[in-house]
Formats: sequence, structure tokens, C-alpha cells
Amino acid sequence: MPLDAIPIVVINAAAKQSGDEAGLSGNAPVLLREIAELARRLLASGESSAIDLRALPLTPADLDWLRETLGQGQVAATLEAEGESTLSETVCPGVWWVTHRNETGAVVSEFIEVTYFPELLKAHPDDVQTGLEHLDLLISDLS
Amino acid sequence: MNDMQFLTWVRGPGLDIAVGIFLLGVFWRLFEIYSLGRKKDLSAPRSVSGASGWHTIFRRSLPPEGMLGKSPVSYIGGYTFHIGLAIVVFLFAPHILLIKNLTGLSWPGLPSQFVDLVAVVTLAAMVVVLVDRINKPVKRYLSTFGDWFTWTLTFLPVLTGWMAVQHLLLPYTTMLAIHILTVELLLVFLPFTKLFHAFTAFGSRWYNGAVNGHKGVAV
Amino acid sequence: MQGSLIDTLARQGITRRAFMKYCATLASMMALPPAAGRAMAEAMAAAPAATRRPSVIWLPFQECTGCTESITRSHSPTLEGLIFDAISLDYQETLMAAAGHQAEEALHAAMKANEGKYLLIVDGSIPLGLDGAYSCIAGKSNLETLKEVAKGAAAIVAMGSCAAYGGIPKANPNPTGAVSVSDIIKDKPIINIPGCPPIPVVMTGVLAHFLTFGSLPEMDAKGRPKAFYGETIHDRCYRRPFYDQGKFAKTFDDEGARNGWCLFELGCKGPVTYNACATVKWNGGTSWPVESGHGCLGCSEPDFWDAGGFYKALSMPADPLKIASAAAVAGAAAGVAISFANRGKKSAAKSAHETTTLADLEK
Repeated sequence: MPLDAIPIVVINAAAKQSGDEAGLSGNAPVLLREIAELARRLLASGESSAIDLRALPLTPADLDWLRETLGQGQVAATLEAEGESTLSETVCPGVWWVTHRNETGAVVSEFIEVTYFPELLKAHPDDVQTGLEHLDLLISDLS
Repeated sequence: MNDMQFLTWVRGPGLDIAVGIFLLGVFWRLFEIYSLGRKKDLSAPRSVSGASGWHTIFRRSLPPEGMLGKSPVSYIGGYTFHIGLAIVVFLFAPHILLIKNLTGLSWPGLPSQFVDLVAVVTLAAMVVVLVDRINKPVKRYLSTFGDWFTWTLTFLPVLTGWMAVQHLLLPYTTMLAIHILTVELLLVFLPFTKLFHAFTAFGSRWYNGAVNGHKGVAV
Repeated sequence: MQGSLIDTLARQGITRRAFMKYCATLASMMALPPAAGRAMAEAMAAAPAATRRPSVIWLPFQECTGCTESITRSHSPTLEGLIFDAISLDYQETLMAAAGHQAEEALHAAMKANEGKYLLIVDGSIPLGLDGAYSCIAGKSNLETLKEVAKGAAAIVAMGSCAAYGGIPKANPNPTGAVSVSDIIKDKPIINIPGCPPIPVVMTGVLAHFLTFGSLPEMDAKGRPKAFYGETIHDRCYRRPFYDQGKFAKTFDDEGARNGWCLFELGCKGPVTYNACATVKWNGGTSWPVESGHGCLGCSEPDFWDAGGFYKALSMPADPLKIASAAAVAGAAAGVAISFANRGKKSAAKSAHETTTLADLEK
């Protein structure tokens, strides 16, 4: 039986509800205030923080709204490690949207990080050391 | 007994027993009260407009002239918690579902946040009327054990239900079970305490109004 | 294995960043703040793999192997799998190559070599009926085996609802007299990982904690790791806003069901079920029961099988009311009987010309 012969169709809760609030639960706008508070904390004490988007009751429409509202900033980084991760700055500098995916491309965790620079992107001294050894090897090969 | 077994008991055998005692008591008392009967009044009725049982049912739902100013707490507090109770009990979706399951009747509910707000207002109103009862010497003098007891019986289900929804003090499962248990206590005692006015208030009002109407007095 | 865990992982082609990403995701699943994820990554990376690599013995009792099935589907190839490499799984009937006497030998060798240090995982309940004859391995009842192996364990993980609470074998009328691990073993730290089956990453998360800190994570009153069982399904459910708005699916195929409204009225046990399904999801984050349109069965709660029916809303009676109509009839009969008695009394008083006193009125 072809799939479309089944008389059940998936209706996107967000699209269906365009009449009332477009599937928004009202939980997303509140987050903007929290992000603002975290940004203030970053400026005041330099303390980085993050919001775990998976831990909150947000509908897909809420997430879309939030992503759209925060917008796309100048920096975006992609990390290839056991699946793709994207870390992109929003139009508010210091506010990063971080999405971790697994090998099959499914989102495994999603955060908003409020930090000058995401920890994950920094190179660890031990890894720099390993890299240096590799460089030395390359140099010694030259001679 | 763990909390899930507790919940299953109050939803199962506990509810069965409570509803059983409730129905037994209600039918018993209704039959007993309405079969008391009265001697036939052989005097000629005096007809005065506004003097009848139906008028009295309505009129006594409103405060008599001047009484609202003299006893605002009783009236406003009383109204608030009675209407609040009706909203919380009959317009909260999970409650409607229970009634539908028991009787087959159902109607649309209200958003849970609104019901939540009403529950808080109801609780506040009940606390206010209790404090008033304690503070006013006359009210306190007239109060018996039954008054304090029935206030508690009515207050606890609202409080525990609200606490369950708000996840206060105890895990939801335990709180929900306690909530249902307090409702069951209310059901068990309702027919045998002054709470039975839920069934008799309008009947007795009609009766008083009809008797007085016969005598030509609008009350 | 020598060196730190991160070196071990590096040899297997896992970079530090991949590891940090794993820890961030794990922290998210454990509902920990991201800072805790970083701390965990640092502690685990530095942990000397050789000394912290504990022996693990996995005993199956009255069970369906669903828990093992679940763990093996912990979406490979993932880091969870590699964490497994960082432990020594010395006895697991389903996965081990050895059988018969060799298997028994492996078990006893591991117990002897790691006395007091090994981690014992138990799945399945323990039958006490007929002296435990309902379930035996190598000629010994499960009860004997558990007591023997638990003696030298550092800690016990009760894997799945059967081991944690008795589960389906314990369901009414419990023909085998099934009990949980904690009903028998009282003198060892026990952590319950209930679920039918439990979520794979919850198990690996607990193991990760054991590897990192050398102890079991913080537990709630039912012996479950708070990190994963700290909140109800309902509180973390993406359909929760619909509950708050009073929008419910009434059947599995109505407008509300298609719009993804709350499944409370269809019997969802989310409000009373503490588990991480709503955040961690299943099958590598693909979906979970409520997302697929079915209410939560409450499988990680004790006695979920006897909790009044999977399709009955929590506010509905768990059993049909049996005595209600009989009680109504009895009440009516009592009322009628008393009314006849009252009438009799009244007419007697009338014929005797009794007068009404003040005391009568104050009755």
C-alpha cells in the first residue's frame, strides 16, 4: 500500500494553529529575558552560562520563533565530531546557538550559550602539545 | 504501600467505598427529610406578590438590604468561595473527565492556569471567612465542632489539589493520592454534616418561602 | 589499559572535542547545568583508566532480556559503547561467548579477583515461591546466586523495573512470589534504574558517574538517580502547553490527536511517572512514546502493571464502582423505613395528645 493511501496525514501543530498563536506555547519570549540576564552576568563577572533548550517545554514552533528572533550573527563554526555540531553566534554578540547532532543527523542536544567564546571551540593545551609534536615531526622531515 | 499503590487504592477501592457511603447517606437523608410531611394548612392563602417559594429561593441568594455593609466578609467571602468551588470542581478538565466516566455527562472545561488562579482565590476566601469566624465573638460563640470540621473537609481537597498541580511539598503522585483521599473524606461526611445543605438549601428555602407566602409575607 | 581515559579514547580515534560534546549532551540528559558537563569531561578525561576500570558482573534473573536488548541498542557506534570498553564486563549471559561451566568459572574468577570492588548489575526480579525453584541458573536459585554474588560487590545496579521493583513478574497475582533486589539485599549500596526497559543512556550515564567519581550518583527516595528521574514525564513533555491550555486528544484518531494535543485523557501516566524519556528520547533521540502519539504507560514506576489500566486517565476510577448502586438502593430503603417509623411515632404522639416542649424543638 502506498504511504499516501493511508487516510491519516500529519498536520504540523504550528501550521495548523495559525489562527491562535501559531503553535506557540508562550514559553519562548520569557527566554529572551533570561538570556538578557545571562548576558548581563557575563559582562559583570565574565561568567559564561548556558540554557539547555531540551530541558524546557518548548514546541517546535517556539524553537523556530526563538531562532528567528535571535537571528544569525557574523560567526558560525562547524565541528565534525561523532556527527556535526554547529555553533553560531546570533545577532546579539556573545549569545551562541549550539546544536549537537549525531552521525545520523538527529539533534541530540541544543543549547543557547552566553559566552565570549564557546569552550568547545578552544584548543586544549594537551592537544596543542600533540599538534606541536606533529609540527616538529613535519619540520624534521624537511631537513 | 508505595505511592503508586496508594494512588491506585484511592482511585479504586477507596473511591468505591466513598461513593457508596455518599450515595447511601444522600438517599437515606433525602427520603427521611422529604417524607416528614406537614399537617395540611386549612387557612385561606393570602396572596401577596413576591411571596412564594420560588421568590425566596432567589431572594435569599442575595444579601438583604444593608447586610452587605454590616457583614461584608460573610457575603463576599461566602460568594467567592462558593463560586470558586463550583468552578474548580466542575470546570477543571480532569474533574470533568471523572464525572464523564461516572455519569456519562461532560462539558467543556477551562484552561488549567485559570482554574489554578480560581483555586488560590477560593483558598484565600476560605481562610478569610475562617479568620472572621474566629475573630467575631458572636460567630465564634455560635460555632460548633461541626463548623470547624466541615470547613476543614472543604478546605483540604482544594488545598491538596492545588499543591499537587503546583508540585509543592510532596511528589505529585503522593499529593494526587492525598487529594483524592481528602475528596473521599468529603464525600463520606457530606451527607451526615451541615455540608448536606448542598442538597437541602434550595428545598428548605422553597419550603420557608411557600409557608410565608401562604401567610402573605414576602421574605 | 594505561594512561588516562582520554588517551584510551584517542587511541580509538575519539577526539577531545567529540568527548566534550558527548559530556555536554550527557549533562543535558541528566538535567545538569552545562558547567557540570565540563567538570565531568575534565574529571573523566583525567581519570586514570587503568585503576578506575572496574569489573562488572551482570546477572539475569526473572526477566525478558529486554533490558539487555535496550542497552545493546545504545545507538552504536557511540561513545557509550566506548565507555563500555572502559569497563570489564566479566559476566553477561546474553553477550558472553562462554557457556556452561566456562561461564560459571568466569563468574567466580571475576568475583575472586575483584572481591569488594566489582559492580553488580542485576536485571529481572527474584522469585521466592517454591523456594525459588521458578528460576534457576547452574543449579542454584536466583536467590542463592544473588546473595552469593552481592556479598563481594562494591555496589549493585538494579537494572529495569523487575530488578528495581519486581516489575511484570510481580504483577497481581504474582504467581512466582517475585521481589526486587532491594527486598533481599540490605547491606550494599543499590541504585535502581527502572524502566521497561530503561533508557540506554541512563545506564551508561550511571556507569560514567561511577567511573568518574567512584561512587553512585545522588538518588531519590525510590533509589533512582535524581539526574534522570528527577522530574516527571509530564513536566518535561513538549505537549505540556496543551495540557495547560485544556486541549486534549479524546481518541487516538481525532483532530486533537492529529494536532499533537495532550494525551492525558487517553490514559497517559506522564504526570506520575519519573523518567527522562521526554528529554533523552529513544533510539538515538529519534522519538519517544508520547511523540509517537501514545500516552506514557508509567513503566518506570513501581507496580505500573496494576495501576488501574493503561488507557484510563489518572482522574478516572481505577476500578468500576461496584457498591455504588447497591448503596444508593440501601440508602433509599433505610430512608423509607425511617420515614415509616417517624410517621408511626407522629401518629402515636397525636393520638396521645402529647404536647411539643422546648426540648423537642432543640433536638
